Amino acid sequence: MPALPEFDYEATLAACAAGERAAMQRLYAQEGGRLLGVVQRIVRDAALAEDIVHDACVNIWTRAARFDPARGSARGWIYSVARNLALNAVRDGARELAVDDDTAAALDARASLEAWHDMADAFAWQDSAGRLGPCLEQLEPVRRNCILHAYVDGLSHNEIARRLEAPLGTVKAWIKRSLAALRECMG
Amino acid sequence: MSTTKTGNIPPERHALHELAGEYVLGTLSAARRREVEARLADDLQLQAAVHAWEDRLLPLTGLVEPVASSPRLWARIERSLDALAVPAPRPAPRRAWWRWDSLALWRGLTAGGFAIATLLAAVLVGRLAEPPAEARFMVVLVAPDDKAPGWVVQAGASGARQVELIPLGAVEVPRDKALQFWTKAEGWSAPVSLGLVTPGQTLRVPAGSLPAVQPDQLFELTLEPRSGSPTGRPTGPVRYIGRAVKVM
Repeated sequence: MPALPEFDYEATLAACAAGERAAMQRLYAQEGGRLLGVVQRIVRDAALAEDIVHDACVNIWTRAARFDPARGSARGWIYSVARNLALNAVRDGARELAVDDDTAAALDARASLEAWHDMADAFAWQDSAGRLGPCLEQLEPVRRNCILHAYVDGLSHNEIARRLEAPLGTVKAWIKRSLAALRECMG
Repeated sequence: MSTTKTGNIPPERHALHELAGEYVLGTLSAARRREVEARLADDLQLQAAVHAWEDRLLPLTGLVEPVASSPRLWARIERSLDALAVPAPRPAPRRAWWRWDSLALWRGLTAGGFAIATLLAAVLVGRLAEPPAEARFMVVLVAPDDKAPGWVVQAGASGARQVELIPLGAVEVPRDKALQFWTKAEGWSAPVSLGLVTPGQTLRVPAGSLPAVQPDQLFELTLEPRSGSPTGRPTGPVRYIGRAVKVM
């Protein structure tokens, strides 16, 4: 993967906080596509994903002044704004109500379980993921998949259990232990 | 922090990091998410734990392919940012400010947040849709000025179709006026009337003559003369407006 040109997220947020519209536009040009990809993967609806990215951008613009670089990375903050909106949208019951055939088919089509190794190669995982890569590699594949299904696909405990055909309690325990292991590994 | 071993951390710290981790991962239930969000306002330790998890897991966003956004999205964001820069835009009343494509109306709505409306829709689906298989589209109709949700529309995407307009609370209508229910999908030349609304009562409209509801289809309630719009088009101010969101 070619190295991306350096983009100064902190400076861009500071410029947004100062009311520079061009900074917001640069940020959108830089991250809009991936933000939309991340959100759409979670909500699985293109129109809703655009609504959420819209809301996220408005939020980022209005709350940029409150971003504190001492507490975390600027890019992490940007994604947390969008992911939280997306997760709130799907967690409030709608999806739990009816994981119907369409949804199941969509999940199958994605075949993320099998795709894990392909993705790892395609994305030069070890290089791009920093300390996360080796720490994820230390997890058993099924536990790693729990983490990925949750973070990337936005699946709930129940949905992961169905997806992996594993008992719900087991999935919950896997996730707890995986998180503890990742934190120990990464600090 | 990098040298911290979990073995040295008291159990309540474990619980904190676990909660923060599951929050960022996204596996908490809606109720637990709201609890965490409420605590985050003033719990500095939880804030720090959440930020640490956000940064730890951020590289996973690299597993998702970017999606090309529609050219309209940035334009829409810009309109919302414009609207924020000008507090409370008030369109001149003599312009057709009830129009479906009224910029001011949508500015207000978009700044208020479609995702919030969607979230409300999701909550309401949980309460209202039994059996859930029928309701495939939800619309939360909000007041254009304060975005207060007033009505929910449920519509089946296929099969025996009906559109239900469900009140969320009491609505006051002047004695000589009535609320009229309209819808317009993309490509339609004008809104179609779905009938007059009795405040506080659910309106069920057999939608057999209408095409299936589409994502983003607009629904609104306008204030009209007591017997309904004399022209067959909305003539009065929009009291509630929203657009269809697909629910699974």
